[in-house]
Amino acid sequence: MAKSVDLLQGTLDLLILKAVSLGPLHGYGVLLRIQQISGEQLEIQQGSLYPALYRLEHQGAITSEWGESENNRRAKYYRLTAQGRGLLRTETDKWNRMAGIIGDILRASPEEV
Amino acid sequence: MSLLPRFRSWMRSVSHPSRLHREMDEELRFHVQSYTDDLVRSGLSPAEAARRARIEFGSADAHKEEMRVSLGLRLWDELRADIHYGLRMLRKSPSFTIVAVLSLTLGIGVNTTIFTLAKHLLMDRLNVPRPEHLRLFNWVAPKGKTAVHSMWGNWDNSGSQITSTSFSYPVYQRLRAANRELADLFAFKDVGRMNVTVDGNADVVQGEMVSGNYYEQLGVRPQLGRAIEDFDDKPGSAPVVVISDGFWARHFGRAPSVIGKTILLNLTDVTIVGVNAPDFTGAKSVQVSPDVFMPFSLQPIVLPRNGVGSLLTDTHHWWMLIMARSKPGVTDAVATAALDLALKDAVRSTMNPKAEEALPTLRLGDGSRGMNETAAQFAKPIYVLFSLVGFVLLLACANIANLLLARASARQREMSVRLAMGASRRRILRQVLTESVLLSVLGGAGGLLLAFVGSNEIPLLLRNPWEPTLVTTPLDWSIFAFNAALAMLTGVLFGIIPAWQATRTEVNTALKDAASTTTRRRHGYAGKSIVAFQIALSTLLVLGASVFLRTLLKLDSVNTGIDSHNLVLFELQPPLSRYPAGKNGELYSSIEERLAAVPGVDSVSASTSALLSNNISNDDFNPTGQTPVPGKEQTAYDNAVGDAFFSTYRIPILAGRAFNSSDTATSLKVAVVNQALVRQFFPGQNPIGKTFTTSGMKDEKLLYEIVGVCADAHYQDLRSAPPATFYMSYRQTPDISWGMSYEVKTKLARAAIAPSLREAVQSVDRNLPLIDVRTQQEQIDALSQQERIFATLSSAFGLLALTLACIGIYGIMSYTVARRTNEIGIRLVLGAQSRQVLAMVLREASWLSLAGVVVGIGGGLLLIRLIHTMLYGLRTYDPVSIAASAGLLVGISLLAGFLPARRASRVQPMEALRHE
Repeated sequence: MAKSVDLLQGTLDLLILKAVSLGPLHGYGVLLRIQQISGEQLEIQQGSLYPALYRLEHQGAITSEWGESENNRRAKYYRLTAQGRGLLRTETDKWNRMAGIIGDILRASPEEV
Repeated sequence: MSLLPRFRSWMRSVSHPSRLHREMDEELRFHVQSYTDDLVRSGLSPAEAARRARIEFGSADAHKEEMRVSLGLRLWDELRADIHYGLRMLRKSPSFTIVAVLSLTLGIGVNTTIFTLAKHLLMDRLNVPRPEHLRLFNWVAPKGKTAVHSMWGNWDNSGSQITSTSFSYPVYQRLRAANRELADLFAFKDVGRMNVTVDGNADVVQGEMVSGNYYEQLGVRPQLGRAIEDFDDKPGSAPVVVISDGFWARHFGRAPSVIGKTILLNLTDVTIVGVNAPDFTGAKSVQVSPDVFMPFSLQPIVLPRNGVGSLLTDTHHWWMLIMARSKPGVTDAVATAALDLALKDAVRSTMNPKAEEALPTLRLGDGSRGMNETAAQFAKPIYVLFSLVGFVLLLACANIANLLLARASARQREMSVRLAMGASRRRILRQVLTESVLLSVLGGAGGLLLAFVGSNEIPLLLRNPWEPTLVTTPLDWSIFAFNAALAMLTGVLFGIIPAWQATRTEVNTALKDAASTTTRRRHGYAGKSIVAFQIALSTLLVLGASVFLRTLLKLDSVNTGIDSHNLVLFELQPPLSRYPAGKNGELYSSIEERLAAVPGVDSVSASTSALLSNNISNDDFNPTGQTPVPGKEQTAYDNAVGDAFFSTYRIPILAGRAFNSSDTATSLKVAVVNQALVRQFFPGQNPIGKTFTTSGMKDEKLLYEIVGVCADAHYQDLRSAPPATFYMSYRQTPDISWGMSYEVKTKLARAAIAPSLREAVQSVDRNLPLIDVRTQQEQIDALSQQERIFATLSSAFGLLALTLACIGIYGIMSYTVARRTNEIGIRLVLGAQSRQVLAMVLREASWLSLAGVVVGIGGGLLLIRLIHTMLYGLRTYDPVSIAASAGLLVGISLLAGFLPARRASRVQPMEALRHE
């Protein structure tokens, strides 16, 4: 198993939005989806997931609904709202720009400076 | 990000707290279960899987706390905790809570009630559009030299000038025609009581005559039917009236069919064409609406006068009120100047004034409150009430401040502990603030309740028991808000300041402080000055209560000279159209006979003025053979009475005889005079057989012979001594035009006898209503009603003040003793006697109370000087009241200080030294 990486500060919200954008998920499902997409490389504090979900719902980026889970339990499913979709787009752009800038900086060689 | 979803989410969380809680639990449980399932699938035993899942997940409670923070519930949660804690603290010291809440309740409730009443009586405006544009006409002229001699209405001749709002109809017409500066002039006149018969039932109503443009210029419309229009106010037009909402409700049960109905008004058929809106009270008064509005054109038929022609053409008699709205751009000064010229022209052309007579000068007054008579009538008592309740509010605030200060010192340790345990200062201040606000909210709720009750009850104090309530005062929310805010501010201020100080001290000092007790006088300083202030206020209120009580007692013990027991009074006002003056003696006698025949009636008397009812009549009095001394009073009070008057009122005849059936309209006119008249006009002589002349209504010289002397009896009121009075038989009085008062001696209660009295009167004329049926005692009580209100309220306030001061002293002395226990212990160890300790504490309490009492008496006497006209039989510096209130306060203070003092004197030295 690959060594897992701690989540960067402030990126959990973005990952939740992305995970939920692929289809409605319950809280545990969000966790599984993120770990699955990351190839089990990301370690998410299970407890910090829920405050983040509640915060996003409070802001109106996601909305929730009680439903039935795959193993016939009652579970709370989260889905992206229109507002959340917009948020995901701007946050993704922001992330990509930031990642590009950081990457450029880190790639810089002595000649370029 | 938009606020709307946050707000919606917040509301959802707050409104369904238990569901939120349940769902959080369920969601977290689901997570742990799913994880457990996955772990089992990966090969762990179920028990091990569940354990691992729980460990990795962490504390569910901590997560839930964070989830609530995510929902923006943190402040809310803390506030709830604060409130919860605050309520627990308040419950823990119930006496503190009760006293504090009661002080606030009384302060807020009583003040809201009285302020509301005052605002209604003194400041409310007429309920018409733009009342601030209304101008009420009045005029002023030098006293004694004015061209206007005859007036009906209010005038004021207290200074060197006479001012009045009355005008004659011809003058009104000329002013209206000449007016360019104001909107169209309109006029009105309250004509007082009128008899009305609706469907066979006779009743009394208040009538108002108005000009045809009255409604149009005021800008109001009736709620039903139509207003009085210009064409109604023309001679010969069909007689119509508009009735008030109250009259409509009383007599017609709000039936819409009232429009077009004909009623008898002073025995004249008139048709109802409209019903005023409930909140319309006419142009004269803000508080009371007349019942029936009629055009001026009805005066000659509805209110005919005694052979002197119509009021509408009378140039001599001034009686009606004029109003107009100001025009934009025209200042009052410009309008007044122009209209003054018009008034002087009108007086010259209508009255032919003599050369030495001064013409009246016109002025425009504020008409937005109508005549504003209530202000003149109630201003003084209201201001006195104002000050009384103002002191009560101050006292309540002082009490709250005192309580909170004492409590804060008691909690100093608690706060230090909380600070030491890491609570932030802000957090502690917020907690204290929450408690103060909680107290204020509780007190505010109580005050609101009291204000509701008060605003229903207080108007009842202002009326006579036999009249319907005239003044209604709906609760005024802005006044309530003001009082509540004031009380709340006090609570918050005196809650926060000590807490602020307490949290500023170093934790260590504060924790040590209690242990190292030394004599720290500064500590109780604020508390003591507040208590001294409370005592001063209480002294002032108690002093006020005692002067009002003593005034009432003096009034109640006035010897009126009559026997007021078992007497029922009522008035009759037979319309002059059917019973012209001079031809109504027949009617009065036959009613007297019918009344005497009613079972249960012992005797019946009649008089043109009922005694002790603020009614008087006077006339000139010229004894035959005495030449009038210039400057000497040549008038006396008179009263035209029935034969049984003296026996019914038990006024002794001291010499000669009373009236009897031999005194008829055609026999020699005779009179009975009282002792005061004998003293004034016939000192040292026997007045029996002497004659005098008096004028009567029509300025004829009528000759009377004195046949009897009766004892003095109070005539008009309790305050003025019995005036010189002569009584005539009403059968020999030709000009009774204002109705008659009947006095019935009966052992039956008023309510029991009233129906048979009504029946007896209506067997003579079924359209004659009985007016103001009341007992003589009720009539006398009504005279001192204002004094009674003040005595009652000020006593209640005084008692309240005493209680609060008592609590204040007890609290501050207990606190002082508790703080000085250590010191007292040392004193005792060093040889002090417990008697000395007792004296030491009591001395401190008496200094406190003496200071307060001295200030209070001083302030009280200053205030009493302002209201000395309201007192009776007392000097401004009434020694009894001063001694009583000072003694009471000092006594009570010592009593309140005694308990803590005794506790101090019984301190066990060893215990005290260990005392922390």
